[in-house]
Amino acid sequence: MRLTRPDRDPPPSTVDAAVDAAGDADLADPMVYADGDPHAVWYRLRRTDPVSWRRTGDRPGYWSVTRYADVDRVLRDHRSFTSTRGTFLNVLGRPDPASGRQLAATDPPRHTVMRSPLQQALSIRSTADQEAVIRKQVRAVLVPAAHSGWMDVAALMTGLPVAVLGTVMGLPEADWPQLTRLAMMAVAPHEPRWQLPKGPDATLQRAHRALFAYFQDQAHDRAGNPGSDLMSALLGLQVDGHADPGAVVANCYSLMVGAATWPHAATVALVELAASGRYAQWAARPDLLDPLVEEAFRWASPANHFLRHTTTAVELGGVGLPAGAPVVVWLGSANRDEAVFADPYTFDPTRWPNRHLAFGSGPHNCLGAPLARRMIRVVFEEVFALVADLAPAGEPSHLASNFVAGYGCAPVTVEVRESALAKAGRDG
Amino acid sequence: MTGTTQRAEKELSSDYRAAATPLERELALMWRAYLKVEPVGVDDDFFELGGHSLLAADLLVATERAVGVHVPATTLYLQPTIAELAEAIEQLRAEEVGT
Repeated sequence: MRLTRPDRDPPPSTVDAAVDAAGDADLADPMVYADGDPHAVWYRLRRTDPVSWRRTGDRPGYWSVTRYADVDRVLRDHRSFTSTRGTFLNVLGRPDPASGRQLAATDPPRHTVMRSPLQQALSIRSTADQEAVIRKQVRAVLVPAAHSGWMDVAALMTGLPVAVLGTVMGLPEADWPQLTRLAMMAVAPHEPRWQLPKGPDATLQRAHRALFAYFQDQAHDRAGNPGSDLMSALLGLQVDGHADPGAVVANCYSLMVGAATWPHAATVALVELAASGRYAQWAARPDLLDPLVEEAFRWASPANHFLRHTTTAVELGGVGLPAGAPVVVWLGSANRDEAVFADPYTFDPTRWPNRHLAFGSGPHNCLGAPLARRMIRVVFEEVFALVADLAPAGEPSHLASNFVAGYGCAPVTVEVRESALAKAGRDG
Repeated sequence: MTGTTQRAEKELSSDYRAAATPLERELALMWRAYLKVEPVGVDDDFFELGGHSLLAADLLVATERAVGVHVPATTLYLQPTIAELAEAIEQLRAEEVGT
């Protein structure tokens, strides 16, 4: 997604996208994220139409929610806004088979019972042991790329989520490249670099089934010997007190596609630092890593939207919604809301507190958030230690996806620190 | 059976072919129970019949219990017909006997 500054930039003139009845680009259309300007649409909607009915062509319509307070309310108020009828636009208009069995598609109190063992396995304390492994993975991709003097930051990060989650789940390293490709096909099936010749629907279907099959075989092989706390928690998942093979694989799947969104926080932040000429300044401030990580997630808002359905007639932001209505919240819009963030279109690595909604909020807030934060922090630490300066080497391209907001390709030139060069010389 | 849909009401890319072996007949009965469609032909696609990934996961575990061999999940997810599943199971059984 383009990370534009609609409060100061004119909108790009070459937007050629499906337009809804109100004249805005249709944010349900994955292609809008490749070549359109979603931030310009959200900027207008927050001012003039913050909770509004959107419908384009013959796609099913939905209520679009753009302000922070309303997004936060929808995500927290599970009694009025249920997750059991699907949580993403790609299931809008049909029943979600994962309802009540996949954490994301389950409401409290059942959700709370299912979630707690997974939450424990993914807590800050449980994931601390993984830090050395994450660091090793980051170095393995970063060091050779940096020494070549040029790198595509987006490509560099692509394999990290599977490496990190694969480590925590104990998945064999030989499977990681294939899992990465399948996870990318699942989160961005319209993206040309991942799409199969038969088109986006076939791409998503293939990725979805192949990942389910993979996790099912893993579950079978590890039945008596899970091999990690997280796998043990996943294999132990029960629905209403009964073992549930479908729930096990569905939750493995959702962890994997959720993790596939994380690296975009690091990518867009590094590109922003490079483009603003402030990379060297912030790379010298390890004391600001915590706020930098949070600002990276706010700035990128890599998980783009969530879907809910009203359970009853409800008022939201002064607008009356009927019962049973689909409601889409846009995290990227909430995270640019002027009512909450001072100067929201400025990337500010000192911003604190930073109560962004990039991990959602309420009962469904991202289970993997501690691991995601740790991963992005390690990426910054390693890049800052190795790279003296970064500069853009061309315009980034933007992923065609309404699920994940991020760059497809983000080329930069790299100036490696002399100390690192000297070390490479000694080691080499 | 209550809540069962007739096969004719589904949009299928296959013609009906009845189960011919005892194994195919056993699988067809299980598919009918899980998918609530009848009759189920051996060339019918599990997903076209209304199956989804979570149901496939449940059906696979039940299939393993019924036939006594571990069926790799890719068989059902990526070759989702009774004919293909039965062939894979026969092969797995033969391999078990051979070892």
